[in-house]
Formats: sequence, structure tokens, C-alpha cells
Amino acid sequence: MPYADPESDDPQELVGVELPGSEAQTREMAAAFAEEFAQLGYTRAQILALYRRAEYAGAHRAWRLLGEDQIVRVVDESLAVWGRIRRVVIDAPACGAPDPPTWVRRRS
Amino acid sequence: MPTVRNWQLGREMSYPYDARFPSRQFAFVFNINRCIACQSCTMACKSTWTFNKGQEHMWWANVETKPYGGYPQWWDARILARLEEANPAGQVWGGAPADARFGPYGVFEGTTIFEAAATTLTPDSARVLGYLPADDEWNAPNIYEDNPVGKRGVRNQLDPTGEQLPEHKTWFFYLARICNHCSYPACLAACPRKAIYKRPEDGIVLLDQAECRGYRKCVEACPYKKSMYRGNTRTSEKCIACFPRVEGTDPETGGEPMETRCMAACIGQIRMQGLVQIAADGTWAEDRQNPLYYLVHVAKVALPLYPQFGTQPNGYYIPPRWVPRPYLRQMFGPGVDQAIDSYVNPSRELLAVLQLFRRSNRIIDRYEIQEGPKVYEGSLRGRKVELFNDTVIAFGRSGREIFRTTIEEPIHVRTNAHANSI
Repeated sequence: MPYADPESDDPQELVGVELPGSEAQTREMAAAFAEEFAQLGYTRAQILALYRRAEYAGAHRAWRLLGEDQIVRVVDESLAVWGRIRRVVIDAPACGAPDPPTWVRRRS
Repeated sequence: MPTVRNWQLGREMSYPYDARFPSRQFAFVFNINRCIACQSCTMACKSTWTFNKGQEHMWWANVETKPYGGYPQWWDARILARLEEANPAGQVWGGAPADARFGPYGVFEGTTIFEAAATTLTPDSARVLGYLPADDEWNAPNIYEDNPVGKRGVRNQLDPTGEQLPEHKTWFFYLARICNHCSYPACLAACPRKAIYKRPEDGIVLLDQAECRGYRKCVEACPYKKSMYRGNTRTSEKCIACFPRVEGTDPETGGEPMETRCMAACIGQIRMQGLVQIAADGTWAEDRQNPLYYLVHVAKVALPLYPQFGTQPNGYYIPPRWVPRPYLRQMFGPGVDQAIDSYVNPSRELLAVLQLFRRSNRIIDRYEIQEGPKVYEGSLRGRKVELFNDTVIAFGRSGREIFRTTIEEPIHVRTNAHANSI
């Protein structure tokens, strides 16, 4: 977004052309983001923030086109499947530690 | 011009030099379905390698918004247009996808940037079809894309929507890019000084600053525009694949190869990087338990970026599932439909391998799966979903375990007030 206001008599002024789209594509995109981040272990509030914040323009575009209610439904559907489990990562000890390993760090 | 075998195109092609293959090849897979353009990778690279005077315009790693964004601007549209001019309506794929390491996407019947040079360029010494971007195309990596800014004169506040012009109503996806460290690099082919070379131990493509004279032939030739000119040193520079990390010389890892800065910084966990074994004929040697080999050659969910250019890039992408297929087929070749089908309906093994992304900054050389019981069966938007409590174990180059990941079902702890209320 340019900082200055548009000047209609400026021949160098940016001209915007809108590409068309379909609701089905937007819905699929919204579902993809919700499923991916639910799999990563993000919470409902964190995933919804992804859609509500303008910085994340892809997800935010879906939120603006589909509305809050549809996005909430998509997120809840995804969390109903992927949110029921929690993945944990267990790091192996650093080189030189006794073998067999004793687990030194556990992440979730 | 010598002939080389390009397994991604499923055929031989002309290239200015005879084929030489490294024993191992730097390669990576990006899962675009997860990328939200946070630009952490971009800044990790920038703050490590290109923060000096004269490098202001240089972004070895960048993330751009497709279809309308690009760095430099319109890089892919411009080279695609030049190829179309060279071979009108002929840039098509034929044959059938093969279940083999050579020609897995069928046969490309069009013209590569090397072949197009022979028929369209003068003088005869011109080796690669390309173009030199103008300065303004380099200057703003995400100009007119989707980064909201604040209103003029208002500090510390973003505009709630950010647009002043008509908004696109179509799909978005973010394309994260670095140098593909191609098997047949266009930059290397074009350099009249032979200043660019491919390392035999890991296939990383480097540009010798002492030999470079800044002719910018590499900048013109690289179809991905990942070779960049630096005005104050009058030489060109490019991504070096963070080779000290890949070599395992970082003291943190105790000799284990380490992923690059852009990979390690990825908070969306879209990236996996590794070293794949290369067979004598230039194809990937069978290495069933290598996660990159599995994603590219077994599950076939990861595809090369614009394989039709002919450079045999070593960057692979899991295509975004919501994007119109013709656009994706142009960008990733004819393997797109199978890749998305496999990704949307993942096998048990694919689900497990996807858990390896970004769990460690060490390069994963091999993985093992210890199968566990089924913990869930249901459906999501019409698709069957089965979850298993499988343990996935990642091993490094030395054979030592790096980490393991598994599923933990929630544990509900009763409060003290109701501890014995059963």
C-alpha cells in the first residue's frame, strides 16, 4: 500500500487489476491452514489469531471473504481431529553422552 | 554441445559441459501448504550473509506471493514468456509418468533454456536463454504484494485492511525460495570466467569471488534469478547453502551436518533439508529411509520448481492443495495431481515422515518408524482420517539418533477437591 494518497492526474499512478476467485478455493485454503496448524499443535486461539491478523494476508483474506463464523467452524472441525493428540519430541543426548541414551530434553 | 541426462525431464538434453555428479547432493523440500510468509527465513539469511554495504537489494532467501508477486519482479513470467517465444505452443509434457527414478513425471517435449539458446541467441557463444532484470525489479522484494503498512503520519499502527486498490479475490500462496543448487546450473554454464563451480562432496554451487569479474552472465542466465550482482565489489554473489553448517564444522553439532540458517529459522515448520546420495547416472540413488528420498521418489508429494527450465533443480515443493491445477502444473510439472492426492489422503508412513520437519537443526540422514496402536479413526470434510501412535526416530549422518517424536494422548488430572470422587 503506498503511503501517499492516489493522484488521479499522475500518469505513474499504480493501477490495480482484480483477479477473480471462487468461494470453494477460499474455503479450501482456509481449511488447509487450519489443518496444518492444528497438526502443529497450535491452540484454537492461536489459529484463529492467524486468520484475524492482517499480517498473515492469505489466512486473513479467507477470514474477510468467508466471515468469522465460517472460519471458526473450519478451525473447530480441524481441531476435532488433529487437536485430540499432542506430539512430543524427545531429543537424544549430545555426542559423548553415555550409551544407551538417557533422554535429556523433552519438548511438546 | 554435450548431451546430459535430465531425470526430471525424462530425457537427454544439451548442456555446455559434460555431466559431473557429486557423491551427495544438497536438496530440500518445502511444504507450501504451511507457509504464511512470516519471512523468518528471509531475515535469518539476510542477517547472516547479506547485511553489508552493496548487498541492500540482495535476498538470497525470499518468500513471495504467488501468482502476482516475485523477486525480482516477474522473474518466472518473464523467462516463461521467453521460452514460449522460442518454442511457441511447444512447452508441453508427454509420455506417461514412470514409477522409476528417471522420468517420474513423463517426458518434457519442449525446449529448455539451454536448447533455446542454440536456436534463438546470437552470438554463437551465448549458452543460456535468460534476461537481465532491471534495477527497479530487484529493489523491493515484496512490492505490491500483501504486506500491510500504517496510514501516513500514524505511527505504530497497521491499517486494518491495507488496500487502496481493488483486491484480488483469488487464491494466495507463498513461495519460499533459495538457490536450487541445480544439477545442471545455468549460472555455471553461462560464466565465461569459469568462476562458478559445483562441489563434488555435496553439490553446493559456489561462486569464486577471486575469479568473478562481474560480467553478470550468471545473473542473466539463472532462470530462478538467484545469482545477484553487487555494485560496490563489481562481482556477483549467490546463496552458499550455509556450507559451513552443512559440512558439520559448527561446534554445536559435534561434527553432525546442520541445516542452513533459513531452514532452522522456519517457525511454520515447512522445511526439511538434507544430502541425498547420487547414483553414477545422476539420478538419486535408492535410499529408502532417507526422508527426502521418500518424499520425492516414494510418496511423490514433493516436486521440483519449474523443471521445464532444464537445470534439474534440487529444491522440491509440496504444492498447495487449494490452487487451480493448471497453474500448479505449469510451476511444478505434471506430477501435481498425484502429489496433492497423496498429500490430502496421506499414508501412515507419510504422516510419520511429515513429523520430522523442523524438529531439529541437524540434517536427518535416515528415519525409522516404530508402529504403535491406532488412536483415532474418523473423517474430516469427507476424508477418512486414521491416526496411529507411531514413534518416528531420526538419525544423523554418524548413525546416532537425533530425536524421536511420538503421540501423547491428553492426561486429565483431577483437582484436589475431587481427587477421590470416583
